[in-house]
Amino acid sequence: MAEQISEQIIKVKKVVSQDLLSGRIDLLLGWEKGHFWWQSRPLFARSEEDLERLVWDSFCVINLSRYLPDELKENKKIGVLVKGCDARAFNRLLQDRIVERERVILYGLPCPGMLDYALLIEEAGAALKGIAERNGKVILQTDEGEKELLRDDLLLAKCRHCLHPDPVVYDQLLFPPLGDREELEHFKSVEELEELPADERYAYWEKELSRCLRCYACRQVCPYCSCLECFVEQKSPRWQGRAYQPSENFMFHLVRAYHGTGRCIDCGECERVCPVGIPLMELNRKLIKDINELYGHYEAGLDPEQEPPLLTYRPADPAAFSEK
Amino acid sequence: MKKLLLKEKWPELWTLLAHEGPLYLPVEDGSVVLYQPWQEGVKVNLEAVNSTVSPKDIFLPREETYLHYSCRGEMLDLEDVESDEPVTAFALHPCDLKAIEMIDRVFLNQDPPDALYKKRRENTTVVALACRRPDPYCFCGVFGIDPTDAPGADVMAYLTEKGLLLEGRTAKGKILLDKAAPLLEVEADETNITVDVKTQDFGLQVGGLPEDLQERFNDPVWDDLFRSCLGCGICTYVCPTCYCFDVEDYGHEEGGERFRCWDSCMFGHFTQMAGGHNPRPSRKERVRQRFMHKLCYYPETYGEIACVGCGRCLRSCPVNLDIVQAIKVLGGGKVG
Amino acid sequence: MSAVLNDPAVGRKPLIVAFCCNWCSYAGADLAGTSRMHYPSNVKVIRVPCSGRINPMFVLRAFQRGADGVLVAGCHPGDCHYSTGNYHSRRRLSAFKRLLEFAGFEPERFEVRWISASEGDKFAEEMEAMTAKIMALGPNRKMRDARWQSKSLSK
Repeated sequence: MAEQISEQIIKVKKVVSQDLLSGRIDLLLGWEKGHFWWQSRPLFARSEEDLERLVWDSFCVINLSRYLPDELKENKKIGVLVKGCDARAFNRLLQDRIVERERVILYGLPCPGMLDYALLIEEAGAALKGIAERNGKVILQTDEGEKELLRDDLLLAKCRHCLHPDPVVYDQLLFPPLGDREELEHFKSVEELEELPADERYAYWEKELSRCLRCYACRQVCPYCSCLECFVEQKSPRWQGRAYQPSENFMFHLVRAYHGTGRCIDCGECERVCPVGIPLMELNRKLIKDINELYGHYEAGLDPEQEPPLLTYRPADPAAFSEK
Repeated sequence: MKKLLLKEKWPELWTLLAHEGPLYLPVEDGSVVLYQPWQEGVKVNLEAVNSTVSPKDIFLPREETYLHYSCRGEMLDLEDVESDEPVTAFALHPCDLKAIEMIDRVFLNQDPPDALYKKRRENTTVVALACRRPDPYCFCGVFGIDPTDAPGADVMAYLTEKGLLLEGRTAKGKILLDKAAPLLEVEADETNITVDVKTQDFGLQVGGLPEDLQERFNDPVWDDLFRSCLGCGICTYVCPTCYCFDVEDYGHEEGGERFRCWDSCMFGHFTQMAGGHNPRPSRKERVRQRFMHKLCYYPETYGEIACVGCGRCLRSCPVNLDIVQAIKVLGGGKVG
Repeated sequence: MSAVLNDPAVGRKPLIVAFCCNWCSYAGADLAGTSRMHYPSNVKVIRVPCSGRINPMFVLRAFQRGADGVLVAGCHPGDCHYSTGNYHSRRRLSAFKRLLEFAGFEPERFEVRWISASEGDKFAEEMEAMTAKIMALGPNRKMRDARWQSKSLSK
């Protein structure tokens, strides 16, 4: 990358402040620093003063497209900073017809991946004071001196799995594209689980899902969860009970994942936000893998014009059951 | 007098205590640390400062069945579900114990007190564990909590190089130590437990919060603060002082059961009424409710802010909208 | 077969829930009945307008409440009363079947079959075959709600 991610903010600010001041957009969705240097939170900027808090650094993980449906109710035209995954999320919303393309200006940010604070402190070994970045390296500043590591080794799991760091939809691409990534082991953990005997696989999920608090963060953060009323809240019939029984845990997680068949953009936000570390993307990737195998390669969110696999069919489709 | 339990004898203590009834302690489960009942093979982690989810579920379980009913012709038979088994809550940190004290007021300082909570509370022996260092996210000092001492504990424990120093504080605690006596040694040098934990304040000064926060109910700060909220329930579920619950029935052909389970004011359906009206229709009202409950309503009733600075919401909120931010925008930050 | 089903050593009869499309498979089941063909009595038929009506939550709910196996039966591809319903269910239920297996269900627990109105014999054969496979697997405990009690199951 020619410029460090931390140096790009100057150009980002310049572009968005022009548009905000000229009235091209009423609101800019960006990021500002959270309480800690390793956290960012969404910024809803309406003025130049607000823009002073705008940041673009290695911790801008939150997907801002998720805020569009609500914010479009109150604003005529919104500018959004989008990374690769955020742009695919935007396409998801577009395809579900819950945002209007002409009311959104997308500023594309090719994304080198976001850093995982948990990995940083694990690597630091001593109290971590801060980091610096140069030439694809991250320098950890600790009580006991500095430690230099490869940036790619410190990425969030969702970013290590990322295939499309460049936004696939934008009005303006702010920096040169980084190019698609190849990831040969994208479905590795799914394949490993597939190899297990059925009972062991069930035991695995029963254990993992037993931690589920039913906080629904995975749903709330998800760009494919766009239903006005989720099955979880439906009263009649009452699909989802509130007890923390295995049967209820499976009900929620299987249906949540299944509703993403051919819709999940593989952004990994559900797994990132899960407070108890349930490997939710293994369920989502299983469905992506099977759709690819059965009905042809499909990546949700890449092209909103392409028909999602469960909304169409071919008479000669194969089946996962006997058709004789 | 403090007694020493050598590290190598910890498993013996777990076995001993778990034999009597559930022994909850911080356990590594996947990538997180949670308070779970001890059983052979679990990975106990006493070094972790704050568990991902608070240990409040020892006293207020995520789900608790308290009534079975069965149909007999036209008749309905009811049967209470009661449990009298003794419970040990092990290695609760001072902030979490302070939070239990706050929940106690809600469930016990009532007439009648909450029978389910009361029973669990009475049946539980609490072993508190002094902190040795702050977690990156915690700020208990802001609320006057001493991370090295838990006034509500039955036994106070201190982690040392050699093991755990245990000090009985109440009758219940002394019973526990008596049972464990064969495993314990008298520690000659007790001075090595003076721990000096430098707590963080994150620039907070809660004294700076307005005297009457109720006046800020219609303040424009709420119009900004709520925007980033996704509307999930993480903050309420990991929080040690949140205690809201719901009651639900599970019915089948011949009867069923009634249970209570955690609920969250961050959910839209929390205040949904049968006729369809919802007094907190959007995330704005819900975010305001949660922070006002911590900073205004609870203190109005019980005299102190319902936050212990455990930092779990700072760690787990997916969008980093947390109570530190809320306190600051409401005027509880340090000036200058 | 009924001797096997009632064998106390085997335990209770496996419960199989068969969702049958109104236009083909339900008529096929009906034909099996009126033709006095024998098929296991432990199969509970639920009539749905089309295999495309199947919400996977129906299947999960059946497992929660005691089903040992679930079958969805619809018209042969190309014969759907609504033209394309079963083409859609083929895709949806294929993905769902694999998800169930990924969650740890044995493949035999959930099946989809195309059975026409004239295939009473196929309906009976499929039910016999599925019952035999599930007998071999034993009762399903996966996703079964521990709280669920039913008069028909406790017998």
